[in-house]
Amino acid sequence: MKRHAVAKEGEIPQGGRKIVSVGRLELGIFNVGGEIRAYRNACPHAGAPVCLGRLSGTSLPSRVYEYIFGKEGFILRCPWHGWEFDLRTGEHVVDSRVRLKSVAVEPGKSEDLEGLPMEQSGGTLYVLLPE
Amino acid sequence: MSGRHAAPDPMPLIDADVHNAFADARTELRPFLPRLWQEFADRHGIAVPPAGYVSPVGVQREDARPPSGGIAGSDPDHMIKDHLDRYGVDYAVLTGSHILGVSTHFDPDWGSALAAAYNMNLAVRWLDRSPRFRGSIIINHSDPDAAVREIERCAADRRFVQVLMGAGSNRLFGQRFYHPIYEAASAHGLPVAIHPGTEGAGTADTPTPAGRPTRYFEWHNIVPINAMAHVNSLVCEGVFEKFPGLKFVAIECGIAWLPHLMWRMDKNYKGLRSQVPWLKRLPSEYIREHVRVTTQPTEEPANPKHLLQIFEMIGAPQMILFSSDYPHWDFDSPGIALPGVPADWKERILWLNAAELYGLSPVTSGR
Repeated sequence: MKRHAVAKEGEIPQGGRKIVSVGRLELGIFNVGGEIRAYRNACPHAGAPVCLGRLSGTSLPSRVYEYIFGKEGFILRCPWHGWEFDLRTGEHVVDSRVRLKSVAVEPGKSEDLEGLPMEQSGGTLYVLLPE
Repeated sequence: MSGRHAAPDPMPLIDADVHNAFADARTELRPFLPRLWQEFADRHGIAVPPAGYVSPVGVQREDARPPSGGIAGSDPDHMIKDHLDRYGVDYAVLTGSHILGVSTHFDPDWGSALAAAYNMNLAVRWLDRSPRFRGSIIINHSDPDAAVREIERCAADRRFVQVLMGAGSNRLFGQRFYHPIYEAASAHGLPVAIHPGTEGAGTADTPTPAGRPTRYFEWHNIVPINAMAHVNSLVCEGVFEKFPGLKFVAIECGIAWLPHLMWRMDKNYKGLRSQVPWLKRLPSEYIREHVRVTTQPTEEPANPKHLLQIFEMIGAPQMILFSSDYPHWDFDSPGIALPGVPADWKERILWLNAAELYGLSPVTSGR
């Protein structure tokens, strides 16, 4: 596996995201309630740039005609066809066997990161990809 | 090919759509109407709003006219001989004639009075005549309170095996307006069925949302659109989540549209489920479990194998019930229906599905 720097630690606020390119891959780096998650920017359904979709909550399973809004900030809705994914797990809300392609992300020692605002302090976030 | 003279099939047979008719509506219903409505019937007659489409064939089969000279289906004894005995029908589920329009009267109280009178007359004139006749509780769906009272009144008589309402309406059947009907039906273990014919009649909306067909031919072609809309609505409104024991029967509405509707609903559910969070499964799963359809008028593709492929796509042999539509012009003879259908499916379709749905055991003697 090879480490690729993608963001400064603290650069992505809670509820925020950053789209990065690593080689030919496009990734979405999300801060989900303080946890950093990285996913391929390709929907498992039809290949759409899923990471550009709207972030919101959704209606939770309920009784008939009952509306319970929840998972606020955890739901990424694909811009094509509207499939909802829970960013904490990458799972499609309808069918948990369908998942966003997750990429390992880990913090590391701070080093210069081209293209990032230099005023950011702290460490660096890396994704791990096969060489 | 003469299915009329085929020997009775040894396999049991339940016919899910047989049309009994009035020999004389006023004579038969008047004794069961409250005094005020008797007076009304004496002055204005008994009729339900017509859909307005006339067939060049006529609706009743010419050859099924009883010796008495009344209209086809109006003589219980003749029906037993001409249909039940001829084809070895163990049970005929009676679906009435000139009565489903009770749901489209401008005056819902007149409609409900007629529905009740019909059911009372059915019990004495038909169900008392032979245990092979099974009844449908006709209701006026435009007045759910009255419909519930009628279900409650009839349900104790187990010869009534389902609730039946005309498919023509001015709102979709999944909507909460109708839920009291489903609550009452499922409390008594009765399926709720719809039958076409009242689309565009009285208070019902046009037979298609795009407008009124010009002629009977065109109208008859497009009847299934209405069933599709109701089935879609029932699933989306969560009727089968709210009433998990309920079964819904779309009589005479075709079959081949099911794969399309199921696929489209499932695809949309994957992106739009947040509007219907009460659905816990794919829409097609509710359809397979809760919806039943009847065979007649069997779709007849140029290559009969294509219909079997449609059955496979539906993937639910328990969904399909045999029906003949006796004594109507587009009757399907049990002797020649379902060509090429595999034996296990045929058994389900010809009797097992209906036996399970309606709680009927095959009659083993007397035929």
